[in-house]
Amino acid sequence: MAVTFRRRTLRRTGSLARREALTFYLLISPWLLGLLLFVLGPMVASLVISFTKWDLLSPARFVGLDNYEKMFTRDPLFWQSLKVTAIYTLVYVPVELAGGLVLALLMNQKLRGIGLFRTIYYLPSVLPGVAFVVLWMWILHPDVGLINTLLSYVGIEGPRWLADPDWALPALLMMSLWGLGRAMIIYLASLQGIPQHLYEAASIDGANRWQSFWKITLPMLTPTIFFNLVLSVISTFQTFTSAFVATNGGPLDSTLFYVLYIFRQGFEYFNMGYASALAWVLFLIILALTLVIVRSADRWVYYEGEAR
Amino acid sequence: MKRSASVIAILVVVALWISACGPTSTPMVIEKEVTKVVTEVVMETVRETVIVEGTPEVVEKEVTKVVVEEKVVTATPEPEEPPAEGAKTILRVGTGDSGEGLNPHQEIIARFEEANPDILVQLEAVAGRDYYTRLLTQIAAGDAPDIMQVGDDAVPMFVGRGAFLPLDDFITGDYPLDTSIYLPGVLEPGQWEGQQWLLAKDFTPLGVYYNKAIFDEYGVEYPQDGWTWEDLLEKAQALTLDTDDDGNTDIWGIQLTANWTTGFEYWIAAAGGQLISDDGTQFLGYMDSPESIEAVQFFADLYNVYQVAPPPADFNLWAGGNAEFDNGKAAMRLFGRWPQAGYKDNPNVDLGVVGVPAGEELANILFWGGFGIFSGSENPEAAWRFLKFYVGEEGSEVWKDWAIPPVASVAEEAGLTEDPIEGVWIAELDHLAPRAYVFTPYWGETADPALRKALETVLIDPEADVTEVMKTAAQEAQAALDEKLSE
Repeated sequence: MAVTFRRRTLRRTGSLARREALTFYLLISPWLLGLLLFVLGPMVASLVISFTKWDLLSPARFVGLDNYEKMFTRDPLFWQSLKVTAIYTLVYVPVELAGGLVLALLMNQKLRGIGLFRTIYYLPSVLPGVAFVVLWMWILHPDVGLINTLLSYVGIEGPRWLADPDWALPALLMMSLWGLGRAMIIYLASLQGIPQHLYEAASIDGANRWQSFWKITLPMLTPTIFFNLVLSVISTFQTFTSAFVATNGGPLDSTLFYVLYIFRQGFEYFNMGYASALAWVLFLIILALTLVIVRSADRWVYYEGEAR
Repeated sequence: MKRSASVIAILVVVALWISACGPTSTPMVIEKEVTKVVTEVVMETVRETVIVEGTPEVVEKEVTKVVVEEKVVTATPEPEEPPAEGAKTILRVGTGDSGEGLNPHQEIIARFEEANPDILVQLEAVAGRDYYTRLLTQIAAGDAPDIMQVGDDAVPMFVGRGAFLPLDDFITGDYPLDTSIYLPGVLEPGQWEGQQWLLAKDFTPLGVYYNKAIFDEYGVEYPQDGWTWEDLLEKAQALTLDTDDDGNTDIWGIQLTANWTTGFEYWIAAAGGQLISDDGTQFLGYMDSPESIEAVQFFADLYNVYQVAPPPADFNLWAGGNAEFDNGKAAMRLFGRWPQAGYKDNPNVDLGVVGVPAGEELANILFWGGFGIFSGSENPEAAWRFLKFYVGEEGSEVWKDWAIPPVASVAEEAGLTEDPIEGVWIAELDHLAPRAYVFTPYWGETADPALRKALETVLIDPEADVTEVMKTAAQEAQAALDEKLSE
């Protein structure tokens, strides 16, 4: 029986409602305090700083929209970093979604020892970021690295990877694909939540494997795909560690990710105002993308129980 | 009953959470009354100089001379927390060193505390690239260590923004320091706008390591003092060899430093050029001068035309991927003194060191780290006493086992000046060219990216026209500098 709170009901039992509300606020007060102090507060501060020039040591100087004007008209590295980040996201997100799904389908079989394989595929995602990247830097070493050595056995002279402006970004993409395990686990959980009776009904009706995948599995997975898509876009846009450790912006700024650029402006050049402005623009971009995805969700995300 | 229990639980959680997020405790500093007066005066005046328009104004201020009475606290072992009685001053020293590099610091601190029982020194080490960020936030919060270590190119940024106390009055004050005891060139990097702000901790010019084993095997004469770029090319070519005839070079002539911008200043200086005008406003005409272009051309040719240098494994300064010299696969290496200890122990390398070759001129550049006193320090005299100990003769007695000590007499007595390897580094101090950062505090944001991009371009694309590349670099650097100067 669905319970809907209607105002009239609440108002009639005044003091009980008030006590319940008080308990509610008390219970969430730690989280609320944290939100105000550590998220909303700094965000507002960052917005204010973005209208100033400040280098942490001298007093801040109010400059209005100067930082934003500089960003859009006089800073080619802003566009470069946006381009690098966009390309990386555009390639990585679909591959992560599709790849994670394929892996999850593979791992969803009831074979002996399948748990071992699930662990193996998930393991890279739990490795500490910096150690992971340093490991990959050695694998990608143009002279003695694993990849080029293997390629040389088949007679191919491998590119200079992180030392080549054309191959540095692909190298970082390759590196990040090792983290597919995270998406795989989420898909796996969802796959196992798809009710078996649907498949049974389909096979009675004569559906083959491909049809049952396309008509049952995929639609039932769309909520998970949606979830993964939103999260993936948000976090991929903020890639930092791999670029910072592996290439520090890369040969000829070919791996100058947006957040790396913010870091450089803020903590290497100490242009706090400009860095804050960059950060806010990133926030707005990601917000816009997320809104677009969420709006589009109505059309392709199918929740169980809906009539479609 | 249930209601009050849950309320109590909530309050406990909130209380725990708030206490966990409270401010970190700062060490208690028990001050002698006398010191407090001086502190306030100093702090106020320094704040007024903090207006960065390129050149901070130097304001005349009075530093009240205070005679500190030394109380010898008898038989007190070093306590974990500050003692309740007995006025011990606590000094904090910040450094970016780590690991074994902290040993000399700790040794010097131990000796100082023995000689000055009224002062306790705490070492705060933050390794790696976070050191400056942490330092800046501490300075902004007014809570920086009393003594801070800062590297050469960070000097204008910190000094120019009032983070340090000028030392001239201390040097001639109650605990004077005789600055003539130092090796040449070691004081200058700590100077800015005509005053001394920092004193040397350690330093290194560039030098050329060479592997005697390779030279002996192929019958090439060792590089000698006074050698030139032509000699360098000749020896490097003689020692770039394909020993197993598989078409790949197995031994390289010289391992160079790819896109390392500050190290590249040596090539510019040796070509007789400079990257920026003396007044710090012009890159055009300097970064793209014929001398600069000549330097970049020769450097790029070593990689691309003569191919005596192994191609860079990466362009990330923090990755350090090229290891040919370490593995005994390169005859020479142009670098600073930092990896020397490792080379001495390395079985692949029979180490020799020689000064840098001369181009049009004989010139070298110095990399340098120094200590200064935080302008907001509450114990400037105690800090000065420690600083004087650290960088004076006493400290040098410890440093001489780890690096070249800044004090000339200590270096001589330890035999370093005559040593065939260490003596080379000391001798290089006689012909130092000023680093580019002394002419502008905006080097890191303007010239550095432009120069790095130029070096990467000529190294990645052998067909690139060096003149065009340097002209572009000069224009980019100039545009960035103009913008900074007009802010």
